[in-house]
Amino acid sequence: MQRQMRTLVLAAAISLSVSLKAEFKASAEEGKKLYEANNCGSCHAMDKKVVGPALRGVTERRSEEWLIKWIRNNEAFRKSGDADANALYKEYGGAAMNIFENLSPDQVKNILEYIKTAPKPAAPKATAAVEGDSGKSDSNSLYILLALIGIFVIVLIILGKVRNTLRRLAAEQDGTADDDAKVSFVKRLLPEKLAKMNPTVLTVFTVVILGGIGFVWSYKFGITEVGVQKGYAPTQPIAYSHKLHAGDLKIDCKYCHIGVEESKSATIPSLNICMNCHKGVQKASTAEGDEISPQIAKIYKALDYNPEKIGAEAFGPNPKPIRWVRIHNLPDHAYFNHSQHVKVAGLACQTCHGPIEKMEVVQQWSSLQMGWCIDCHRNAGIDAANNNYYAALHEKAAKDLKDHKNKSQYFGPDGKVKITPAMNGGLECAKCHY
Amino acid sequence: MSNNIKYWKGEEELAKDPAFLAARKNEFPDALPLDEVLGEEGVELNSNRRDFLKFFGFSVTAVALAACYKTKVRHAVPYLVKPDDVTPGVASYYSSTCGSCSTACGVEVKVREGRPIKVDGNPRSTVSKGGLCATGQAGILSLYDTERLANPVANGAETADWTKIDKMVSDRLKETEMSKGRIVILSSTIHSPSTLKSIADFKSKFTTAEHITYDAISYSGIISANKDDFGKAAIPAYKFENAELIVSFGADFLGTWISPVEFTKGYVANRIPTAGKTMSKHIQFESNLSMTGTNADERFPMKASKELLYLGSLYNYLAEKAGNKQIAVPQNGELAGNSIKKTAELLWNAKGKSLVISGSNNTAAQKLVNGINMLLENYGKTIDISNHSNQFKGVDTDTDNLLNDLSAGKVSAIIFYNTNPVYSHNAKWADAIKKASLSVSFSSTKDETASVCQFICPDNHYLESWGDAEPKAGEYHFMQPTISNVFNTRQAQLSLLAWAEATPKAENDPFASKAILSQKLSASPYYIYIKSNWATQLSSNEAFNKALHDGVWSSVAESKPVSYAGDVTILTNEINESGKSIGTDLILYSQVYLKDGAHGNNPWLHELPDPVSKVTWDNYVSLPKSLAHKINFKEGDTVNVKVGNTTLKNVPAMVQPGQANETVGLALGYGRTAAGKVGGSKEKGFDAVGISAWPLISSKNGSRSWFANGVEITMGDESYALAQTQTHHSIEGRDLVREASYSDWKKNPTAGNDKEKTHIYTIWEKRDYRKDGSPNHLWAMAIDLNACTGCGSCVVSCSIENNVPVVGREEIRLRREMTWIRIDRYYSFANTSKEIDGNYVTREKEIGQIDKADKGDFSHWENIKVVHQPMMCQHCSQAPCETVCPVLATTHSTEGLNQMTYNRCIGTKYCGNNCPYKVRRFNWFRYNDNDKFDFHFNNPLGKMVINPDVTVRTRGVMEKCSFCVQRIQEGKLKAKREGKSPNEVMVETACQRACPANAIVFGDLHNPDSEISKLYKNERAFGVLEEINVQSSVKYLTKIRNTETI
Repeated sequence: MQRQMRTLVLAAAISLSVSLKAEFKASAEEGKKLYEANNCGSCHAMDKKVVGPALRGVTERRSEEWLIKWIRNNEAFRKSGDADANALYKEYGGAAMNIFENLSPDQVKNILEYIKTAPKPAAPKATAAVEGDSGKSDSNSLYILLALIGIFVIVLIILGKVRNTLRRLAAEQDGTADDDAKVSFVKRLLPEKLAKMNPTVLTVFTVVILGGIGFVWSYKFGITEVGVQKGYAPTQPIAYSHKLHAGDLKIDCKYCHIGVEESKSATIPSLNICMNCHKGVQKASTAEGDEISPQIAKIYKALDYNPEKIGAEAFGPNPKPIRWVRIHNLPDHAYFNHSQHVKVAGLACQTCHGPIEKMEVVQQWSSLQMGWCIDCHRNAGIDAANNNYYAALHEKAAKDLKDHKNKSQYFGPDGKVKITPAMNGGLECAKCHY
Repeated sequence: MSNNIKYWKGEEELAKDPAFLAARKNEFPDALPLDEVLGEEGVELNSNRRDFLKFFGFSVTAVALAACYKTKVRHAVPYLVKPDDVTPGVASYYSSTCGSCSTACGVEVKVREGRPIKVDGNPRSTVSKGGLCATGQAGILSLYDTERLANPVANGAETADWTKIDKMVSDRLKETEMSKGRIVILSSTIHSPSTLKSIADFKSKFTTAEHITYDAISYSGIISANKDDFGKAAIPAYKFENAELIVSFGADFLGTWISPVEFTKGYVANRIPTAGKTMSKHIQFESNLSMTGTNADERFPMKASKELLYLGSLYNYLAEKAGNKQIAVPQNGELAGNSIKKTAELLWNAKGKSLVISGSNNTAAQKLVNGINMLLENYGKTIDISNHSNQFKGVDTDTDNLLNDLSAGKVSAIIFYNTNPVYSHNAKWADAIKKASLSVSFSSTKDETASVCQFICPDNHYLESWGDAEPKAGEYHFMQPTISNVFNTRQAQLSLLAWAEATPKAENDPFASKAILSQKLSASPYYIYIKSNWATQLSSNEAFNKALHDGVWSSVAESKPVSYAGDVTILTNEINESGKSIGTDLILYSQVYLKDGAHGNNPWLHELPDPVSKVTWDNYVSLPKSLAHKINFKEGDTVNVKVGNTTLKNVPAMVQPGQANETVGLALGYGRTAAGKVGGSKEKGFDAVGISAWPLISSKNGSRSWFANGVEITMGDESYALAQTQTHHSIEGRDLVREASYSDWKKNPTAGNDKEKTHIYTIWEKRDYRKDGSPNHLWAMAIDLNACTGCGSCVVSCSIENNVPVVGREEIRLRREMTWIRIDRYYSFANTSKEIDGNYVTREKEIGQIDKADKGDFSHWENIKVVHQPMMCQHCSQAPCETVCPVLATTHSTEGLNQMTYNRCIGTKYCGNNCPYKVRRFNWFRYNDNDKFDFHFNNPLGKMVINPDVTVRTRGVMEKCSFCVQRIQEGKLKAKREGKSPNEVMVETACQRACPANAIVFGDLHNPDSEISKLYKNERAFGVLEEINVQSSVKYLTKIRNTETI
């Protein structure tokens, strides 16, 4: 009885599903989701050829059945000897499309429905100048205003002085000059008590005070500002956004900065790395149509790459390298090695470069002054236990601590027991200067 | 037993010249050169108070304004498409073959961001065996030479268009061939199979073409002798590593003769006294004191013109022992102390384990040498004629005949490849070349020959070229480009192939399908050409690439027994004639660095002090003391040299201890008139460096003779100060070098090094890092005085690695040379002078007390012993320099390094004054971007050779050897990245890496298994000036001479 029941339910379920299937109606909305989930856009656009052909009207060019076979497994389809499939493959220079057997035929239909109904792009809008000089005129006029005010004040003071002198002269001539009038202009400005002091003492006193303030200020300015480019965020030839790539898209820093684990330089990525993605991704994420993003277009221009063409032919004969503006400039007499800090010490990029994944425009986050280096070398702990290079050092430290021998040398400035670079010669001149 | 030898560096020191005594008190003998610097800008130095205030006010304002200056925007330009094997900031190394001379040492090229910055020996190479000579080291600078032609030249005008030139040249070649005119390719020795094939291809297209080899420094004598004696016109391979007794007649085999690096490696193999191993003995007969002579255990001065007599006599002694027929000469030649006979006895005892060589270019002399080596059964053991050397193949008569034919208008077209006969052969070439209807030079600069040619088709530098080489039969070396062409140049082979219309087609390009993005990598057609030439031996891509990667590939045939057809007994006349020689000999030798002068525009080679005389930037006549006494020569005088009808006037000269009486020496390779800015150029108005001695060379019996007999030396009427580095730093009678005889060493391994240790009192505590169990490194160096030949390779290597500037002749005269490592050369009188009158110079008996000069006896001045001692910062543990620095610019590291921090240094020079070793160098000027020092640091091209890991120092700071701290840091970092233990850190300093004699060892004393730790325990190890307890980190190993006594 129970078994019968079960069979019945099963049969009902099957018939239901069959009936559901029969009633399938392609949904453009579902299709859009699938289109995005499977990154179709990385190789296709609606109205133009990218890596693969333009998709608009594809359902008119090919039968639905053909398309399903092609999309799900173009390789098997080609092998089956379909003439159109092989011709298409050849046309695109033998660049095979990925296999999407994960998509059911219905899902493919959804995608096709989405392609059918995808909105036409709006007429191209004039893009605003990226590197405008707006704001410059404002600040200019401000400077002119300040200068005018300055000149005005000086003129006022001179006029005042002239007036005083004239008045005094007149008074002397008249014989009406009294002691009070002889007191200098400056003295009259001072409080009575100060004004009575010996002028020499007063002058020396003032000079010392002002000089002292000036010295302290310029000393502070000198050591924290001169040659320090903290916060330097120049406009780059391509408005590359770390926020988008490293932050939103979560691309690993090392994907582009390939030298960081083996070289002194992290390296500014060469354009072939950009092209790994941007051969396919051509439009800005925010753009509606298929128009190539003006920033990405700069990459193409630098490589003399024509996205309309295929294979080696897409690359023209006139590539022109990009001149990025260097942000982090260490003086020539200081040696810094990224691999030492990233690979050996295991530091995160953010330790020195700040929240780079949030920066639309990259800026120098740290001062890069020697004091800043030294602070870290005094405080940071070396993971001595997990690198054979430090094994002897680690062993000695463990033994010393156990035997209570010279224990104090293993305490960091924060009072915690650790081996800092400073304990291992990390403050010596020739570690960075040679 | 310690010795009591009096060492000295220069004659003035030995003679206690008052001027010298006064000068040596001052390390920095001159006042600040302010007048020189400011005087020219019209500034008075004697300023009053108002001037002071003016300057003060101006300086303060200027500094304040300068501080307001906006920081320059700096750019970074990454690759468009990064090549797979390049990571910016990481050096790549490529195997290649040195093209600085035809010896063809295998090299390893260090490349940073696409530019080669250092060349060292390739350990896999059978020629270089990992070492490299100074010339090879410096050769990298010819790549960045501003004198190189940027474009090909047609009839005096540069043109960028190769096709135009090709058309003009090939049209004329075709016309010449049609009219049956002779076409000659004159080249220096070529042993590259592919180049030879390209010449063969050229010859098959132009049937009237022939290829003639001309070597400026030729080995014609050896080649002709071997042709007659063995039926093989070649230089044999010499195996110094198999020889227990080496007898050389004037061959500078460690410095210039055939393959010096290879010979040094072989020579040194048996020169280190080791228990259970026989140390080889080296006897040198020579006129000049050559670098090789300075290393000999026993050295006998000999007149070069009498060499045949002595060789004949040596042959006769040996023939007598062997029972062979002797040469019928009236009497046997003999030198002082019966040295020929004694040598014969030693040789006979070392039969089959000895080697006799001669540097003579006389066929008769080389036949005698062949005869002697046959008697001694050395063939197949120390000499291999069957697997011969290809390094020099030129026969002098070929070139002489060609010059005659060319002058007579019998040659219609001439092509010069890597050769400069107008300079090095005969000035007649300049007119003769004009008689040919077509003249082409492949020279990369407008040298003496190229400037009279119609076309200059500049060849690539070897670092830009593909190539192969066969320096020794069956042993192949490969060359690969390490930089793309700096200028619009083309490999000479491709030019020949282009004119022969045989340029390999791009269809065969194996990379064609791999075009990556826009960089359509098209291989050089010559790469395709080489690859197809090697297709049978290296049949797969993998095999070919492996050969390229290794730099070498060999397929050496079994050595065949020799068949000797020579007969030396017929040389009676030659020997008799040699015995009759009277008068003064002029020895024309190739200088160790300049060699034939091809690298005449290389400032590193000019600045490098000669290994023996320590003279820089000039050649000079080296006079024996006896002759100097006779003509009343004083230091700074010049002499006139008259050879036949040629006279060289006012040649700089100096007294050379060790120079044989009745001989004088003069180096070839100087006096270039079209080398360039550095070496001299008439066209551009730069004076030649030195004087060209080539016009003094004459041909004897078909080969160029390296000496001239019957020379007249008279006093010149000018004075000239040679720029010497030798007496700049003085010994003051201190115990700096130690030596002992081999017999003494065998009895007691501490012989010569058993001085009673001074009792040390110290106020300092032992440094923590020196204590056992310290987890850090402790860097140290050991230098074996027995191995060091004084070749100077380390000095150039150090200068390249550490961006040491070239300062020029004038600065060296002012004792301002900048090299971080110098090789001190100490003379002492050989004990043979003791035998003469029982008295010799010791520390107690100064020369003045026993000088025999007054009696007209100069024999002791001929018999000189030499010790070479490389000297650099000793990285003292208790460094005197550190305690006197007022700004802590020089400090000590926990790894035992004495650190120099340039940006802290304020230039008080206290440290230099307090340094007991005088190894600190002060930057008197900014040597970069300074027109007064117009060397490679003054132009953007020359600066490409700068090592980016080392700071370029500026004016006013001290500098010195850093133990190559950048290499230490790199080695440590590599170990840290790979999680290796400190004992696995591999660091080689630049000097150690370059040394062809393996004399320098560097390492970590805290690693008990390291070579350095073992050497520190060696009985021969000593520290220089140990008694002052500075605890230096450099130990030297006592020099042991293979003699009975010292």
